[in-house]
Amino acid sequence: MTAPVLEASAIGKVFTGRREGKIHHHHALRQVSASLSEGEILGIVGESGSGKTTLSRIMIGIESASSGEIAFRGTPVRRQADWRALRRQVQYVFQDPFTALCPTMRIGKALAEPLAIHGICPTSERQQRVAQMLEMVGLHPDIAGRLPAQLSGGQRQRVNLARALMLEPQVLICDEIVSGLDVSVQAQVLALLVELQKKLGLSLIFISHDLRVIRYLCDRVLVMHLGEVVEQGATEQVFDAPSHNYTRALLAAIPDRNRVTDTPI
Amino acid sequence: MTGTPLLEVENLTVTFPGRNGPFRAVDGVSFRLAPGESLVIAGESGSGKSMLCRALMNIQPDPAKVGADRLEWQGRSLKGLDEREWRQLRGGEIAMIFQDPTAALNPLLSVGRQIIDAVLAHRQCSREEARARAIEVMGLAGLPEPEHRLSSYPSELSGGMRQRVAIALALSAGPKLIIADEATTNLDVSIQAQIVTLLKRLRKELGMGLIFVTHDLDLAAEVGGRLMVMYASQPVETGAVVDVLRDPCHPYTRGLLRSAPTLHSSRDTPLRPIPGQTPKPGTIGTGAPFRDRCPVPVAGVCEIRRAEWTEAGPGHRVACNRFALEGRAGLP
Repeated sequence: MTAPVLEASAIGKVFTGRREGKIHHHHALRQVSASLSEGEILGIVGESGSGKTTLSRIMIGIESASSGEIAFRGTPVRRQADWRALRRQVQYVFQDPFTALCPTMRIGKALAEPLAIHGICPTSERQQRVAQMLEMVGLHPDIAGRLPAQLSGGQRQRVNLARALMLEPQVLICDEIVSGLDVSVQAQVLALLVELQKKLGLSLIFISHDLRVIRYLCDRVLVMHLGEVVEQGATEQVFDAPSHNYTRALLAAIPDRNRVTDTPI
Repeated sequence: MTGTPLLEVENLTVTFPGRNGPFRAVDGVSFRLAPGESLVIAGESGSGKSMLCRALMNIQPDPAKVGADRLEWQGRSLKGLDEREWRQLRGGEIAMIFQDPTAALNPLLSVGRQIIDAVLAHRQCSREEARARAIEVMGLAGLPEPEHRLSSYPSELSGGMRQRVAIALALSAGPKLIIADEATTNLDVSIQAQIVTLLKRLRKELGMGLIFVTHDLDLAAEVGGRLMVMYASQPVETGAVVDVLRDPCHPYTRGLLRSAPTLHSSRDTPLRPIPGQTPKPGTIGTGAPFRDRCPVPVAGVCEIRRAEWTEAGPGHRVACNRFALEGRAGLP
């Protein structure tokens, strides 16, 4: 078996703060391990405070782990230079399409920025790359001249996807990227994500609190609760035959139109 | 239907003075709600569902004008009520739970103080009695150890607990109707399930009416009762939740159900998104609101006029020109 694309081993994270005047250590993650295989969509599911976002931030180096290690294609990531190299291959799409884009920067410039930062692609060709990428995420190239405020939520989330894809990454980490969208728009973005993943051969980490979306999208799923992984496995197995009580409780809480038994009044 | 309904609404509209002439944020809503009944209003952002709730409480934004052929609370017309009378009704007989409990609570006052104030605003009673009532409603709302929670501040509570405080606040004056506007949207699924169970229990035990607003049709199924689907400020389909979800008859309702993943869907059966976006307010004109995204518009008709209500089953009605012409055979 080939090495996983991205791997987290025994990650621990302690946040230190004050509570009622005393120093308080909050264990956000305890001994969490996760691995992402080539071309797979891995879902991370959990309620607020379960540590799913913290884990994903550690995997891309926005947050540092208190213990444990991240490896990219079998090589541990330790030095700053390693992290910089990783961040070219692993891109992050944030939850809130409204705050993830600079309000005063035109879309074209925002999309070209990753190229400028990493110093790839000659300046003269950048706008062409931007136009191509906008088309790939189903937007009109004219959008490049607009400001974020002139776009709808769905359009902004497409722009965020496009920006993450500018560097042709191998891995995309999507943190609740459809949570803020209307159902009909959410379906458009999910369909786009599946299409891009196939076309570009991406490996994907998809974080969500919505088990319905996870079920639809992911090959494998990791269930987190209070900073620990309580269950992981193939999506079908976890959904159809959950082994942990917490997973069962979570599944039972999902509203389901097929469960309607209510007598109409 | 027996007895006087709690709320009877006929052809309610909310009109805003737009830059390009006035437009309707809510257009042609009618329903009646009896004690103990629930009405789920479902729709996406911009469908007018929140504006409708605000109009029912008379807390719509300032430039908006509310109009209705009939707007009656327990048989008494609400049209022309002055602010003093509204104040008794609002919070007293009709209470509202908002989406964001953090914004609904005062961060500088303890939750006990806020609930006690609400009780005193609507009841002639002593502070002691108000305190006892606060503890009672906090217990009803499922807050553990209510007498200890009285002195808590909103910032000390989790999101789920804050929403329970907001519910306690809504229950404090013993309302006959609760309007929950996306009250569980920001909460974790397990908390959401608890809150929905709680609201259903209160409806049953206290005989309260419930108007539950959501964008999630699966959640509508859990709440039960009647369902009204809204699109671009207009109601497009209404009926018992069970009937509408098992046999959706408006192209929009069908599209919405197909575009939402369920616990049983997988990539092998791709979602079918509704193409395009919801129209901007004020751009619909006199035509059918869904015409630009509809897979089966009636050419020459949908552009010009919106559909009349057509009967799709007992108590199940659809406003769709295609359905009016061809019935279920014409549906996508």
